[in-house]
Amino acid sequence: MLSCSSDTQVRDAKIIYWSSNNTEEIQFARYIVDNWNHNNPLERVMFQPVPEGQSSEEIILAAVVGETTPDIYSNMWEGDVEAYAQAGVLIALDTLAGFMDFLHERCDSFVIAEVTSIDGHIYQIPWKINPIMMIYNRNIVRSLGLKSVPKTYFDFFEAAKKFQKDIDGDGYIDQWFGYSEVLVTWWQRFFDFYPLYLAASGGASLVKNNKAVFNNEDAIKVLEFLREVYKKNYFAKERLSARQDVFLDGVIATRFTGPWEISHSEKFKPKGFDYSFQSMPVPDDHVGPVYTYGDPKNIVIFKTCPDPNLAWRFLKQALSEENESKLLEITNQLPRRKNLDSNPKYAGYFEKNPKMKIFAEQAKYVKGTDQSPVLKEVFDLISQEYEACVIYGKKTPREALNDAEKAVNLLFLK
Amino acid sequence: MRKKLIPYLLVSPYLIHFIVFVAFPVGFSIYLTFNNWNIISPMEYTGLSNYKRLFQDAIFWKSLLNTLIFLVIHIPLQIIFALLLAELLNQKIKFRGFFRAAFFLPVIVSGVVVTILWQQLYGFDTGLLNRLLVKIGLAKIGWLTDPNWSMPSIAVMATWKNVGLYIVLFLVGLQTVPPQYYEAAELEGATHLQKFFRITLPMINPTIFMVVILSTIGGFSLFIEPYVMTGGGPLNSTVSAVLYIYKQGFFYYHMGYASTLGFFFALLILAVVMIQKKFIEKDK
Repeated sequence: MLSCSSDTQVRDAKIIYWSSNNTEEIQFARYIVDNWNHNNPLERVMFQPVPEGQSSEEIILAAVVGETTPDIYSNMWEGDVEAYAQAGVLIALDTLAGFMDFLHERCDSFVIAEVTSIDGHIYQIPWKINPIMMIYNRNIVRSLGLKSVPKTYFDFFEAAKKFQKDIDGDGYIDQWFGYSEVLVTWWQRFFDFYPLYLAASGGASLVKNNKAVFNNEDAIKVLEFLREVYKKNYFAKERLSARQDVFLDGVIATRFTGPWEISHSEKFKPKGFDYSFQSMPVPDDHVGPVYTYGDPKNIVIFKTCPDPNLAWRFLKQALSEENESKLLEITNQLPRRKNLDSNPKYAGYFEKNPKMKIFAEQAKYVKGTDQSPVLKEVFDLISQEYEACVIYGKKTPREALNDAEKAVNLLFLK
Repeated sequence: MRKKLIPYLLVSPYLIHFIVFVAFPVGFSIYLTFNNWNIISPMEYTGLSNYKRLFQDAIFWKSLLNTLIFLVIHIPLQIIFALLLAELLNQKIKFRGFFRAAFFLPVIVSGVVVTILWQQLYGFDTGLLNRLLVKIGLAKIGWLTDPNWSMPSIAVMATWKNVGLYIVLFLVGLQTVPPQYYEAAELEGATHLQKFFRITLPMINPTIFMVVILSTIGGFSLFIEPYVMTGGGPLNSTVSAVLYIYKQGFFYYHMGYASTLGFFFALLILAVVMIQKKFIEKDK
């Protein structure tokens, strides 16, 4: 596990830093740690990728239980932070000198409010995001005679109606306008209901002050839209994920996904395949910016850290504009900072990667998650009702939201 | 003194193993049933509230019903097919060894692999089964997407996976039937069916009961198939009891509640097996 560090580094290290264990992030972490160690030989940082496991969340949980946490962890899902904060295993970063100035300089007030814990402290540094957008096949959009890619629910339905087809004539649709996993697993809603809800509502919360606040007209519109999409067979109800990539195959024309799709598509796309990204579809009467889910991964310092101030100094350097330019280049993931698309430091990268520029423009309007220690259960309960309403049509959107609201509020009563 | 210690030393490996891996986990999980614990925060004593919650938890009762539906389909299917195939494989047929091995093959293949393969067969639009149905002019079936079909589909798949093991058990049972019984029946002019129902079945009765018990215990632990194939859906129609306990424990980290569900479920299996055991003993 210590392959990235020499024995000397391990012995002398004052801080232990865990990054995600994907190749690009390991490369980036090595870069920032080597730089730091070169300039600060007396305050060395030891880097390790998070140990292999079923998921990094599981590993972090095991480390917390075993009190073997690193000092810094840089890939914490925003929705997990509140539970750890309430368990008292994280350092309140707003108590560190200069942290709030740094945060105000880095993020706008919307983001700061989002990462502020229920107790008023801040336990995480907003680090990177992968906004969910709609990827679409430009050739198909052109072939349907559309002026532009659908932006509203009405346009989406119109395009979907034109595209759906029973190719083999067996009486069943086998070419759909879009696809989203129908599994009830809670995080699948990050790719359909949740970004659509954020888009329709202008980034509204699901839960606030230990109360469900998602039972509103925007959520109804989203469920009505999705319900119609499945009822009219514009999306497949079957799981297509085991098949060859259905988007690159032209079986579907759109999908709600993140920037990771770019490297995959570039690698496997057939000749002549042309694609781009667009914000999530919104209700026909929508005004204002179109928000989406940002899938934020943030940085935390654990209470086991012997020198939080040193950890903070290292992080401040790691999150410099220059280093985040490297983050973009190496990992193709967006740093969560103000004016990302207009900062001249990143202009070169976006010129070379024009599709990432679309995500950088969207980055102004992304939201992570609400602060709640039972967020997974909230998503799970919404997902159960989503399935009953959207996929199987057993409940109306109003009934589904009423039931989800009741169930979520029960969680907070415990 | 030394003489007194030696017996304890000799049994100590078993005792240590029993204490560390059986007694402590069981004792600790029973203790957990009276507490709320999410692993990262300190335990909180809650008395009988986990038990109260269990009796009000509609999804848990649904998961028990789902498990029961699975057992009702799976056990008879398993016995009928295993017995039929064992009877065939007990005849003097060509490539008997090959067929015996072939039917046993799914048993040793990983459950996850089998599940993923069957997922392809069960696909609504592209699955082989539905293509076949459409070819012969029938409507497609939502094997895994229709709440009425999903659990039976899983039961059929589980039968295919496990039938090999029970074929072997039945083969052993069939080979213990004395051949002179059949010879005597043949002299009396008994047909194949008469021999099967009047001689074979009564003689392998203990094997049948053993298969019932093993399939019941195996069926109660249904987990991999719905976990990989359906995630418990559609509309919670394939949430098995074990899948639900797993979800409460390792998904929400409700360790106290998951222990309560596990403890209750273990008592339920114990009761069912005791009833079955009573039948076997009566039979003997």
